Amino acid sequence: MAGTEAPRVEAVRLSRFEQLPWRRIILVILGIIVVGVVGIGATRTLTLGKAEGGYSAGAWRDFVVQGAAQGAIFAMIALGYSLVYGILRMINFAHGEVFMAGSFGSFFFADAYEKSGFLDRDPILALLIVTAVAIGVSVGTAVLLERLAYRPLRNAPRLVPLITAIGASLFLQNTFRGFFGPQPYGYPKPVVLAGNITVLGVPVQRIQLLVLVVAVICMAVLQWFVSTTTTGRSMRAVAQDREIASLMGINVDRVIVTTFAIGGVLAGIAGVLYSLTFEQVQFTMGFKPGIAAFTAAVLGGIGSIGGAALGGFVIGLLQAVGPPLILTGFGIPSVFSLKDAFVFLVLVLVLVFRPGGLLGTGEAEKV
Amino acid sequence: MAASRWVRMGAAAGVVTIFLALVGLIGGFTDVYLIGDQITFAGLMLVLPAFAAGLVAAAPRVEGGERHEMRFVEAITAAAVAGAAAGAVFGATMILADVIGVERIRTVFLNVSPQLMEFVTFGQATLVGAVIIVVMSTVAGVLGGALRVAPTSVRRPVTVAVMATLLFGFLQRVIPIALDQLKLERDWLYSVSFDGLTWIGAIVVGAVAAGVSVLKGRFGTQLRGRVAGIRGRTGPAVSPGVLVAGVFALALLIAAPMLLGSVISEVLGTVMVFALLGIGLNIVVGYAGLLDLGYVFFFALGAYSLALLTGATLNAYGIPPDPAISGHLNFYVAIPIVMLIAAAAGVLVGAPVLRLRGDYLALVTLGLGEMVTVLVGSPWLVPLVGGPSGMRGITDAAIGGLAFRDPQRFYYLALAFVGLAAFISWRLATSRIGRAWTAMREDEQTADAMGISTTRFKLLAFSIGGAIGSLGGALFAVKIGSLTPASFQVLVSIQVLGLVILGGMGSIPGVLVGALVLVGLPGLLREFEEYRFLAYGAAVVAVMVLRPQGLVPNVRRSRELQDEERAQDEWAKAAEEGETPPEIATATGATT
Repeated sequence: MAGTEAPRVEAVRLSRFEQLPWRRIILVILGIIVVGVVGIGATRTLTLGKAEGGYSAGAWRDFVVQGAAQGAIFAMIALGYSLVYGILRMINFAHGEVFMAGSFGSFFFADAYEKSGFLDRDPILALLIVTAVAIGVSVGTAVLLERLAYRPLRNAPRLVPLITAIGASLFLQNTFRGFFGPQPYGYPKPVVLAGNITVLGVPVQRIQLLVLVVAVICMAVLQWFVSTTTTGRSMRAVAQDREIASLMGINVDRVIVTTFAIGGVLAGIAGVLYSLTFEQVQFTMGFKPGIAAFTAAVLGGIGSIGGAALGGFVIGLLQAVGPPLILTGFGIPSVFSLKDAFVFLVLVLVLVFRPGGLLGTGEAEKV
Repeated sequence: MAASRWVRMGAAAGVVTIFLALVGLIGGFTDVYLIGDQITFAGLMLVLPAFAAGLVAAAPRVEGGERHEMRFVEAITAAAVAGAAAGAVFGATMILADVIGVERIRTVFLNVSPQLMEFVTFGQATLVGAVIIVVMSTVAGVLGGALRVAPTSVRRPVTVAVMATLLFGFLQRVIPIALDQLKLERDWLYSVSFDGLTWIGAIVVGAVAAGVSVLKGRFGTQLRGRVAGIRGRTGPAVSPGVLVAGVFALALLIAAPMLLGSVISEVLGTVMVFALLGIGLNIVVGYAGLLDLGYVFFFALGAYSLALLTGATLNAYGIPPDPAISGHLNFYVAIPIVMLIAAAAGVLVGAPVLRLRGDYLALVTLGLGEMVTVLVGSPWLVPLVGGPSGMRGITDAAIGGLAFRDPQRFYYLALAFVGLAAFISWRLATSRIGRAWTAMREDEQTADAMGISTTRFKLLAFSIGGAIGSLGGALFAVKIGSLTPASFQVLVSIQVLGLVILGGMGSIPGVLVGALVLVGLPGLLREFEEYRFLAYGAAVVAVMVLRPQGLVPNVRRSRELQDEERAQDEWAKAAEEGETPPEIATATGATT
């Protein structure tokens, strides 16, 4: 090769047109459209008179309370996604099914207790047992999932566990369908939880109050657990660097199983609360709350506990307040049928504009 | 120590059997005869886990990178122990169920029926039934173990024979129709009274399959060598086996509707629509490595835009939508427009999400797909796409006077489009674009550094994949003749992804096989319709864990996976022998 001239590499010249920051331009345009639509819709809704389909102040208050209660449940499910993501960097797509499993498992106990009258005679004890069952089923499902489906793939390329999780989700749904049939079951609700209660002058449904209180306690306990206990510290260590953590004598497998189990505990509790609120269980019930919760986790900044909690409440509120506030103004009929589309829209917008989430770093990892 | 391992395997198999019983795969199928009037599907499900446990228990163990082969007696013992354990677990559960009371369990687990109990106890008392189960499971385990330790020359023909016989048993609704069409005698093969294979038929099928397998084993290598000799070094070496299989498959694809009649052609038409979707998604996922979970978006886009362009009517009002957005075009004029719309939509959808890493991209696309589902079904868009009640009166893809709505003719139309799409996809894969996709899939940053415009190629993948997907949607609309939002659920995306993965990402024949297995089989086996998605989920997980390259892998893809494995092996071996692993060795070598 000596003596011949090295082939000259020509620089590719981009035209002026191609040099423009197209991505940014598209994002800015998209952003303006979103802000514009939200602004116009909201103003038009708020200026609507009662006769034209506007809402009273009381209605808005109800939307907010309802949204907060929903959000609390989303937050609890979101923590399951977030914890697992923090440690394994994988989206446990089947976590919605872990939630569903808990609700379904607890249903048979709740139903039996209602028929025997135990549920109304001693609602606290009955609900504690029912919740314990839900936790047991959810934890069992989550741990089995980890052991059978995810552990063999721990070092596989990133998309492989995600695809597996989708398969597992489908499998779990249809397992429950096979076990218990495709029909929905009516979930019993103790009489104590029916009706309203006034808190600080605001009428709140009792069940919503229960949901909020339980969720806040759970999150506080989790925060304490992760920040102070030895297990919590090992979880954080594994999240930071799995190899180094194992060199420091941490049993990584056990930490991972513990993480799935904690996610299961929260999903189980959330399952009972959700079923008590909507008074129904069915094998497909995990999908939509699962996606909403995942959106919440991403919105708050996936991997962070505070983020998941914040994201949950924000998503709950957006879902309850957003459709009437924004869509009513455009004269769209039955706005609440679009509330799921609303969640997905938020998911898309968050990932496009701020993939790191509200509390995250603001920049998504590339590759 | 070893024994406890065998027992654990057996117990796991027992739990699997219990699972099958609870899901209803045993109790509901006691009258689905596969072979003779003895072997039912339920019976097969009852002993299959124990058989598998025996197979696994007798397998050579790999410990610390070393293979421990088992001696014959040890292997058989292991298999027997595993089988017995499986039987014991199931038997114990049966006794427990009897103590609790079947009717009481049934209020929770719907499939625990007296019929199931009668089947698993063979009509005897529960205790006797449990003993029979243990004996049967032990036998099944021993058979599994024996198969495992048998020399390859025995194992392969036996496996092939059993599989072929079972396949013939399963296809009891399909093969007799073909035999009738060919005016062949069928009563010797399939029984008239219980639908399954007759014993004589089963023996003949098994013997033929075993014979083919033996012949292939004996002459296959020889033949391959000779063909390679004739070809010399010209052209890529296609093994004669693959060639024969390919020609045979093609002939079968063309002859299928004529042989199988219109009911089965209907199913095959759906298979072809899904194959088309699979080919499209394969470009996005298999070639470019972009996991798209919202592929139903393009499916819906194709179906609805075709409906609008060709003058379908809204079910809600019985009139066509606003003339401003609808037309009365011919199918073949509308198709290019539909595909162009989809390609543009692919770019629009792809542009904002380009920067996202794999799993985030998956969820954004999932969100987009789900939004489409909600939107087409929402009362808001009734005047545009019909809302919950959908649209009807979609044009037929007639050429002149030749209508295509008839299932058999539709199959050929779909097959032609599948062939076209497969050809385009194949040429793309081997082109510069395909190589850019491969590079991007393997390492995006490196590809970028090598001067591949990742933005451009990602958008290209989205738009080509989207265009093919919309074609699938348009064909689906023509096939059904009417649209309802129920056909456009997220499950469609997951089904298509499932068939691409099962077949092997990046492999076109794989897509066809995947569509046949995941869409065709459940369609042909009506009894199993309910279990379709259970099988889907299980198949996706199993493929990902056991055989990530898929059933009919793309050659390059599987070579990459093997390389990775080999690299890991070397690393493990080096670590075992106490040497510095090669990676670190080169790293230190570079610094010194």
